[in-house]
Amino acid sequence: MKILVCIKQVPDLESRFKPDPNGVWFSDTDLAFRMNEYDEYAVEQAVRLKEQLGDAPEVTVLSIGPDRVVEAIKKALAMGCDRAVHVQDPAVHLKDPWQVASIIAAYAKEQGFDLILTGMQSQDRGSAQVGVTVAEQLGIPCATTLVGFSYQDATVTAKRELEGGVKGVVKLKTPALVTCQLGLNTPRYPTLPNIMKAKKKEICAVAVAQLLKAEPLAQTVSFHPPAKKGSGLVLEGDVCDLVNKVIGILKEKTAVLR
Amino acid sequence: MEATREIYWNVGHGVVWGMYLFAFLAMGICAWGFWKRLPVYRQGKPLSRLDRLPERIVLMVKGMLGQSRVLRVLDPGALHALFFWSFGLLFIGTLLIMAQADVTAPLLGVVFLKGAFYGLFSIVLDLAGVVALLMLGGLMVRRFLVKPEGLQTIRDDYVVQGLLFAIILTGFFAEGARMAATEIGINPELARLSPGGLIFGQLFVGMTPAALSLAHKVIWWLHFFLAMGFIAAIPFTKLRHIFTTSANYLLADLGPKGALATIDLEDESAEQFGAASVKDLTWKDIFDADACTSCKRCQDRCPAYATEKPLSPMKLVQQIGEIARETPEANLCQSVGEEVLWACTTCRACQEICPAGVEHVNKILEMRRNLTLMEGGFPGDEVRTAIGNIEVNGNPFGLAYAGRGDWAAGLDVSVMQSGAEVDILYFVGCYASFDKRNREIAGNFIKICAAAGVRVGILGKEEKCCGEPARKLGNEYLYQMTAAENIELIKGYGVKKIVTTCPHCFNTLARDYRDLGLDLPVEHYSTYIGALMEQGRLKLTAESFEFTYHDSCYLGRYMDIIDEPRRILKQAGGAITEMARSGLESFCCSAGGGRIFAEEKIGSRINVARVHMARDTGAPLLVSNCPFCLTMFEDGIKTGGVEGEIRVRDLAEIVAERISR
Repeated sequence: MKILVCIKQVPDLESRFKPDPNGVWFSDTDLAFRMNEYDEYAVEQAVRLKEQLGDAPEVTVLSIGPDRVVEAIKKALAMGCDRAVHVQDPAVHLKDPWQVASIIAAYAKEQGFDLILTGMQSQDRGSAQVGVTVAEQLGIPCATTLVGFSYQDATVTAKRELEGGVKGVVKLKTPALVTCQLGLNTPRYPTLPNIMKAKKKEICAVAVAQLLKAEPLAQTVSFHPPAKKGSGLVLEGDVCDLVNKVIGILKEKTAVLR
Repeated sequence: MEATREIYWNVGHGVVWGMYLFAFLAMGICAWGFWKRLPVYRQGKPLSRLDRLPERIVLMVKGMLGQSRVLRVLDPGALHALFFWSFGLLFIGTLLIMAQADVTAPLLGVVFLKGAFYGLFSIVLDLAGVVALLMLGGLMVRRFLVKPEGLQTIRDDYVVQGLLFAIILTGFFAEGARMAATEIGINPELARLSPGGLIFGQLFVGMTPAALSLAHKVIWWLHFFLAMGFIAAIPFTKLRHIFTTSANYLLADLGPKGALATIDLEDESAEQFGAASVKDLTWKDIFDADACTSCKRCQDRCPAYATEKPLSPMKLVQQIGEIARETPEANLCQSVGEEVLWACTTCRACQEICPAGVEHVNKILEMRRNLTLMEGGFPGDEVRTAIGNIEVNGNPFGLAYAGRGDWAAGLDVSVMQSGAEVDILYFVGCYASFDKRNREIAGNFIKICAAAGVRVGILGKEEKCCGEPARKLGNEYLYQMTAAENIELIKGYGVKKIVTTCPHCFNTLARDYRDLGLDLPVEHYSTYIGALMEQGRLKLTAESFEFTYHDSCYLGRYMDIIDEPRRILKQAGGAITEMARSGLESFCCSAGGGRIFAEEKIGSRINVARVHMARDTGAPLLVSNCPFCLTMFEDGIKTGGVEGEIRVRDLAEIVAERISR
């Protein structure tokens, strides 16, 4: 059995984001990077499945991006993936989800993966399209937003999170693709022996040009902070004064007291 | 008539053969008993503890003969020490008799137990017997009647105390019987030199000579066999501590306090990190269990134990011994219990007070290393998050690393990246960098430095967590990763001196980083400010205030810095009311050992207990010297319901307010 996990390295959301010089994405300056949270669930699920099947499956982790994404790849290897593919692309952030999915599909096509896992979406772009699009391009079944996963006899039973707290259960024959949501599992903390072993695992570097044949379908036009629409106001002081102030503001700025 | 007595009176010289036969037998059993224990210790990993031998011998003499560690707690330490010394004198007395009766007299014709020396010998030994009896009585009352809380009494205690009591008592009976026949009413001057024997002798006065002789013989042999029984029982009962505890003084850790073995992460042959079984501990860790006397001093001082958590340092140490003897293959961490291991704040109160030189803390840390490095374990999800945050942003809060230096905006501080010339590097630490309350401490420290004309540099956004909490949680890997980055930076900027406002950073940079190649003077701000004042560079206008002072574990117990902060506060105009637990006996705030990240889910709150101790002094102000302590006390004052009664401030705030203009 062959399993593929697709991961993305994303900036930590606490970071300070500034638009890049072209204003179409954020600048890398002063950002701390980490593995996309949803992808951690995917890695964990892949490794659990491998353990369930007595270490028989080979788990490949794939990530697209500049050199720094190797850090995220190493973490996935330390968590238990067997080998890695680094699709080298310093400009991945300028590609649309269709192109990213095309790159993954182009790689996966030849490999014959039985199961592909991705995060439900990335924490930075958040399109939630890459996983499903890969499945579409490969012509395999797909289930999204998994909060439960089991595997038996080439069939995945997936519990999906639907709208309004409703859950749905679907069964997929492999080969299949699933995207993972918060609540699916608690990703393990890599142990030191596994961190050391990960250093020796193969990370196969592939130039993006070898895999990317598709043209973008969507263009990022602009990246900018939301326009300031007024701001909060904190009033302090005596209660009577506060009441008068509030009435004054309501009269002046709203229509409720007119 | 010259003062002396006949050795082997009534029993005759013929007893010598039987006596020595049994003595050698007893000693043989004793040696065999210890020999049998050696393989238990040998299961542990090798560790060299015999370097610097002269220093070690001095330690042993002080600890054993001087009873220095036992006497740190006078009740019941004084009873033990006096018993030890008097029993020792009785032992020496017995040796002197043996030397004269079986060596010098028959071989050389020399008799020294006579005249004035015999008089001294007689009175000293007799009084030693009286003191030993009284002290033993006191100890028995304590153990069997008073029954102090937490003191475990086991079979050994009955055997040992009963045996000792019987030995001394039969000694006095034998002496009394002999004196009734040879001294009482015959040689009152000599009898006066044995006041104890004189009292016991009254029991025998008036007996027929034949009955007296028989009684004396029986008692003499009884005394002898009890004494031999004592020797033989040493390795099989708590009496073993006579040898094991003494040896433990010799085998003490002479390294810097709190030093923890730095794991070689480059060693690719290593498969086990930390202690998964007793075999992963050192032989000394196993030996410690035999040196432990169950005195419970550690347990009495353990903040976790005091707040109903499952940890007792004493029981933990003994459990390790038990596992080493009975089930050495057992999963150590599971046998001990994860909750036990995570409860430790590494405050070191146990180790500091231990009269047997047991090293508790590193055992716990080695087991934590196994939990963390081998099993990816955490005391809770909140700790997992904090550790993840350190990995990504270099601080446990998960705040953007780029904002680490923001607190210094507008202050008289240079960021090292700018290439500025500075006198000291201020290693700010995570709390003073990001935590709102502790940022005030950083600001005040800068104010103090500026007033003294000290040019301060910081690493700003390049600084990372020193790694201490991660390390104390067992995560040596993360510790060494962040440490390596900090060290490379600090070295790169050619820093000459580092000052910290956090005792945890202080210990880590000053001691732990040495193993990783940082060899620079590092100071805590308390001593640094003290030096500035002494040099006259910093002048304070004293302004009186009342306070109590909390010795943080990592400044007090770990670094022995106890008087300096008090001196500064006194010069600032402070009048101190000490808490009962202060200095080396200080009670942890709860945040050490990485517990700063962890929720306290079991038992009552340690920080509240400490804040209540501070409140009970009646002082309106608690002064601390550590960002973790400050954070825990701010919280403890609120959750412990003493708001308005006491407040907590940092040393730097007190000083900064009083800078002379």
